[in-house]
Amino acid sequence: MTRADGKKIWWFLAAVLLTAMPLVLPPEVAAASLPAGGETAWWVWVLLLFIFSFFLGIVSVLAGVGGGVLFVPIVGSFFPFHLDFVRGAGLLVALSGALSAGPSLLRKGLADLKLSLPLSLIGSISSVAGAIVGLRMSADSVQLLLGIAIIAIAVIMMKAGKSGYPEVGESDVIARALGISGSYYEPTIDKTIDWKVRRTPLGLVLFFFIGFIGGMFGMGAGWANVPVLNLLMGAPLKIAVATSGLVLSMNGAAAAWIYLYKGAVLPLIAVPAVGGVMLGSKIGARILSKVNTGSVRIAVIVMMLIAGLRSITKGLGI
Amino acid sequence: MSNIAGKHKPEIDRVQLVYAAVLDVVSHTGMVLIAVGFLAYVARLLPLTVSIEDIASHWHLRAGEMNRLHAVPSGWSWVQDPLHGDVLSFISIIFLSMAAMICLVAVIPVFFAEKNRTYALIALLQVLVLAAAVVGIAS
Repeated sequence: MTRADGKKIWWFLAAVLLTAMPLVLPPEVAAASLPAGGETAWWVWVLLLFIFSFFLGIVSVLAGVGGGVLFVPIVGSFFPFHLDFVRGAGLLVALSGALSAGPSLLRKGLADLKLSLPLSLIGSISSVAGAIVGLRMSADSVQLLLGIAIIAIAVIMMKAGKSGYPEVGESDVIARALGISGSYYEPTIDKTIDWKVRRTPLGLVLFFFIGFIGGMFGMGAGWANVPVLNLLMGAPLKIAVATSGLVLSMNGAAAAWIYLYKGAVLPLIAVPAVGGVMLGSKIGARILSKVNTGSVRIAVIVMMLIAGLRSITKGLGI
Repeated sequence: MSNIAGKHKPEIDRVQLVYAAVLDVVSHTGMVLIAVGFLAYVARLLPLTVSIEDIASHWHLRAGEMNRLHAVPSGWSWVQDPLHGDVLSFISIIFLSMAAMICLVAVIPVFFAEKNRTYALIALLQVLVLAAAVVGIAS
């Protein structure tokens, strides 16, 4: 192992430990239990949020999940901010990550505009509906449902497989009519991959529900977009991951406006979160090849299960 | 398995390249605006509509309760009086939230130029959904 590799592995260990730290703190120490305003200076929380988001950015890239799915349950349970503001910030975290990665993925033909547009049209309508419903529900109900959703997502992540190049027989009628197909260059095998999709009608229905859940809880939806695009519709894994970000940038924007209008986006919370996750993601991308991503994924699933349980107990007032 | 076709690098649709070019400019501009706006906010380079201490002492409340206590920037409420540090930071977030819509508006003429009316219509509908959210119809 070279010295540079060793440094990268230290980054990885620090990222996992610091991201998991709020989860192992006893509740009385956790921020959520502190009195309103508390003794702690505002800038301490903002700095902690930035540091946490930075390490979350590293871990989320290594685990192949969007930052939003971990951000909302952990920050919502262990920082002193109301869940309304956490969800507003979570949507922006998911949105900004997708926006910054978008240009290069589009130019490489990995993110596909024609595949994303019909799905995002349906998803953005439902994400607006989800955001409206989420902001009207009581905080305890949202916290409880969020906990259940996070545990369900963790289970999906454990169970769902993935397929690099799925076998697609015939495209469905809608995919053929819309001309949803393409090709991209795969450098790892030095080949061009031609792809097409199937089961578009069912995909559209599922993207409606995914958009609703994403808007309701202020999370990105890569955890659901990718399996639907890859396993159900038959898009190659790289196309599914990249196009999921493109869909998210549109759905997240639509839902974010509901939070912006309700005054649920505080720059004091949203900006450090966005900045931290984006910087962390860049570091994560650099150390990606040196780290066993399978172990990180397991660590993230465990974190999600703990954060989900904490969210449920908080929602139940325990 | 998908069809592994050969070694040539495929051509990328023009509409996709236009979307990427616009997104590149918009997302980088958004990041700079976010950094500058936040610096102006926390360094108090401009007056604030609500002090940072007031925000921090009430950020445990629901958004609606916070709004009743303090006129935090929301939607387009800041338009008449934008020269405040917290408003500048809020505007940078607004810009980022409009990025996808700006890119879509840029590619609709390209779809029309390619005579792809179906996708021009889908992109237009997507812009209308986002515009409804932006102007507050959906709220």
